[in-house]
Amino acid sequence: MTLLSLNQISKSFGGIHALQDVSFDLNKGDIVGLVGDNGAGKSTLIKILAGAHDPSSGQVILEGQAQTLSPPANAQGLGIETVYQDLSMIGAFTAAENFFLGRELALGRGPALFRLIRRKTMLDTAVSGLEELHIDIPGVRSKPVERMSGGQRQLVAIARGAFWGSKMLLLDEPTAALGVRESKEVLNLITRLSARGLTIVMVTHNLEHLWSVCNRVVVMRRGRKAADMPSASTNMEDVVAYITGAKEGLQGRALELTS
Amino acid sequence: MHVLGTYGTILVLILMVVVFSAIQPDTFATVGNFRNILNDMAIGTIVAAGLTVPLVCGDFDLSIGYVASFSGILMVGLLSANQLPIPVAMLIVVGIGMLIGIVNGVIVSKIGVNAFIATLGTGTVVVGLNYAYSGGIPLQLTHSTDFTGLAIGRFLGIPHLAIIMVVVLGVLWVILNRTVQGQHIRAIGVSAESSRRAGVAVDRSRIVAFAIASTCAAIGGVLMASNLGSGQVTAGDGFMLTSFSAAFLGSAALREGQFHIVGTLIGVLTVAVGNNGLAMIGAPIFTQYLFAGCLLVLAVALGGIGRRYGRG
Ligand SMILES: Nc1ncnc2c1ncn2[C@@H]1O[C@H](COP(=O)(O)OP(=O)(O)OP(=O)(O)O)[C@@H](O)[C@H]1O
Ligand SMILES: [Mg+2]
Repeated sequence: MTLLSLNQISKSFGGIHALQDVSFDLNKGDIVGLVGDNGAGKSTLIKILAGAHDPSSGQVILEGQAQTLSPPANAQGLGIETVYQDLSMIGAFTAAENFFLGRELALGRGPALFRLIRRKTMLDTAVSGLEELHIDIPGVRSKPVERMSGGQRQLVAIARGAFWGSKMLLLDEPTAALGVRESKEVLNLITRLSARGLTIVMVTHNLEHLWSVCNRVVVMRRGRKAADMPSASTNMEDVVAYITGAKEGLQGRALELTS
Repeated sequence: MHVLGTYGTILVLILMVVVFSAIQPDTFATVGNFRNILNDMAIGTIVAAGLTVPLVCGDFDLSIGYVASFSGILMVGLLSANQLPIPVAMLIVVGIGMLIGIVNGVIVSKIGVNAFIATLGTGTVVVGLNYAYSGGIPLQLTHSTDFTGLAIGRFLGIPHLAIIMVVVLGVLWVILNRTVQGQHIRAIGVSAESSRRAGVAVDRSRIVAFAIASTCAAIGGVLMASNLGSGQVTAGDGFMLTSFSAAFLGSAALREGQFHIVGTLIGVLTVAVGNNGLAMIGAPIFTQYLFAGCLLVLAVALGGIGRRYGRG
């Protein structure tokens, strides 16, 4: 069943075409691996799905309805959560505070100015949220995340996404800069989250990580979709060939013929 | 270095209290003198504490001094020329202050003008409004002369100004540390983009922060008018510099290189105690400026060190 479709999504920054006419369908339960060279447009695509960027043109259809995903609070409201490549948490805040940033549990109604934070309840909820995902990190209540290790921070960020996301979780290079053991932990968590019904899009440069969890591969090249295949019916050499351009997608070839 | 960056300002404060008390036990270390210090610093503290809110959010506000001046003039004008009841006049003045803050916030967040330039611009416009309203001439309080009782009276021996200061500080502390809005303002101060991505209404929060600063500046202006018993055209202008000094001094108190309400209070208190003590021992006026200026540079340098080494 199709959860979300992208129709001819383009995004430019000034003269740079970061994305051009990208279309694909995400099925419920997919774990999609999004790969491509540096600057291929992976993060831009993630940010469009996250509502952090408005597409320059094109359409996003979620469960049959055209939706505007930006600003991020909109996408979040629709059940889409994101772990960004950078700037995903407030370093000076604790894991618990980051968990609830933008969605604080509070007493009272009305403007944010008059709502008192329920610190204790937020702490307890964040701790039990992490426990439920079998993530064991010391100092969730008191340690600023900037003092955690990269792996711990990544687990907290993913757990936050899992805690709030009801439909989709977008992960931009969740295993970058992580050691072997930490990567394994993150990949395990991704598999568990998928089993709970979340649809996942994961950007990675590590094809082994991709093969260990993803059921589909989407290859980006120079802002266009170069390939989109079930991971069972392809192999690493093929994917690498699409990434480098040694092998070209239909779209690319058609374009080259016309130009 | 870490200790100095975090506790530097407080150490200076304690040191001064000890030294001045030792030199002048009969004049400096008295309840009466302490009451004087509190009374003298109250209005400046209110304006500085208000400024602290946009500073926490990462924004400068250069208009607060001019807003305070204009508010004082307008207050006296509304009472004397228009003969409005005191509460009504106060509501109008503080409301206009808040409105100026909202305008600041909209220009900075929605239009994207650098806060430094935007508030310099609005501040200058406010000076223009001030002169348009007053003609550049001080206004005398001709009606509602009991308005002076607001700032000058005492309650159970405590100056009204000190009580109002404590209330404003308390409210601002609760806003920054215990409300959803405060949590958002502090998050934006660390990273506006991360906050936006987390779903925080960044623009609205910045507008609220500017509105709070400007509202406090207006309250300061009203109290100043009450204290002076008249409207002086430029009486509040100096609050801009003293407020920034206090807030930066306070950033080297208790928390490594961060702005916060208690820090700002300590900042104002340090300068006030220094000036008072220097006057008590008979030091010439110029020493007060030397002291305040050197202290500021030193504290911020140390606070910066605290900020850099504190993260390790
Ligand atoms: N905010 C921006 N302003 C201008 N150009 C941008 C912006 N964001 C991305 N780009 C440009 O868009 C293109 C795609 O960038 P994107 O970040 O999506 O690449 P990526 O595939 O995620 O690369 P990486 O693997 O290095 O993370 C690049 O040329 C980049 O310079
Ligand atoms: Mg990227």
